[in-house]
Amino acid sequence: MFSGKAINTGQQISLSDYRGKVVFVDFWASWCPPCLASLPAYDQMREEIGTEEFEIIAINVDENTEDGVEFLAEHPVRYPVLADPDGIIGIPYGIRTLPHSFLLDRDGQIISSHRSFKLGDEIKLKLEIEQLLKKDQMNH
Amino acid sequence: MSRSLLIGLLFVWLLLSPQNSAMAATCSCAGVPLLTSIDTSATEKGQFFVTYTTEFHQISDLVSGTRDVTDETDRDRSSFSQVLSASYALTDRWAVSALVSYVEHSRTIGSSFLGETISSGIGDSVILARYTPMFITPFSRHELSFGLGVRIPTGEDNFGDGFVFSEDMQPSSGSVGKIFWSSYSYAFNQAATVQFNASTNFTTNEENDRHYAFGDELNFALGISHSIGTRFGYSAALRYRTTKADKRSGALIPNTGGEWLDFVPAVQYAINDQFNIALSGRIPVARKLDGVLQFTTSYSYALSLSYGF
Repeated sequence: MFSGKAINTGQQISLSDYRGKVVFVDFWASWCPPCLASLPAYDQMREEIGTEEFEIIAINVDENTEDGVEFLAEHPVRYPVLADPDGIIGIPYGIRTLPHSFLLDRDGQIISSHRSFKLGDEIKLKLEIEQLLKKDQMNH
Repeated sequence: MSRSLLIGLLFVWLLLSPQNSAMAATCSCAGVPLLTSIDTSATEKGQFFVTYTTEFHQISDLVSGTRDVTDETDRDRSSFSQVLSASYALTDRWAVSALVSYVEHSRTIGSSFLGETISSGIGDSVILARYTPMFITPFSRHELSFGLGVRIPTGEDNFGDGFVFSEDMQPSSGSVGKIFWSSYSYAFNQAATVQFNASTNFTTNEENDRHYAFGDELNFALGISHSIGTRFGYSAALRYRTTKADKRSGALIPNTGGEWLDFVPAVQYAINDQFNIALSGRIPVARKLDGVLQFTTSYSYALSLSYGF
């Protein structure tokens, strides 16, 4: 569980607020080349899936959070982005390389993890999320 | 081959593994430099890497102590090895690496082809278990790794035309060796694009069936690596190597053993997310060899292709 103030929207959020939704947690940094492609791709994917039962929470791990803020000014996303310069969130998740993301079911359990990113990965990811949403709908 | 071209080739090759070294540089080098070719890439649970390396060593420098000596015999000595290596990360901290090798030695004395001797065959194999208690992450700049391994004499005695080749011409050392390996890296920035690396390894050598024991060997390397973008990287390292004298039936073999300091440049290019190509080399900087005279490595270079997933 983690919580914090989003550096792009200013809203206070907690992972527990999203219990009941499928959540995609994405760790990234401004210096990570694949993140330049993954952030807009995930933003587009979020718009296509909708936010009624799904949300993306991004975790920026830049040592200097201002670098992440500047990156977001140039490459804005509509989902909340938390800052984690000291690894308070990232270390428990075992982050070693970026980008690294996790898909959580409605109960907050990690269903899958995804390392690195190349264009086209978001299509397979979207399929996985939609299947999880359908599965969870049947179970709830 | 011109010296500038040679240096260029060497610079292209070195990025491969500045943290590893166990180069056999004297003429008492039956084995190939296996630890320079062993793949230690797999560091995250489930990662698997396979690397094919082809490596050439020209061993024609004649040295007396620290002094280069002109070779009047028109001697040409080289080794060409092919190494297949794999590494697999069992967990985020434990990994295993293994390699098999095929080695060809060539020696020509005088200008006539009649003076040429060639031996070839399967060389030694290595298995190395690695433990990494600290690794570089976005939240940590340090990486520390230890390894224990064994060199296995998988090769056979090469009898050529009815005689046993001398030890330096054998494809395999013919003996078991114990390997102690460690590596430390420091990332100068969070993205870890610039790193300092220090590594050391120590190999003890047993006596083979021919009652010959290569001298125990210690390697120590310091290097810097720099990656540019996601595809290209280069590195440079200084590598110190020292070996004890070889022995036969417990008696010291003259003109074996010594100390070497080499410059090791390398470049690496990632063709895609799975395939990497690397070119590296080794240029002698200084050496202090035991005995009166020794033939030793003039230069070496290696090209490797690795596949990981």
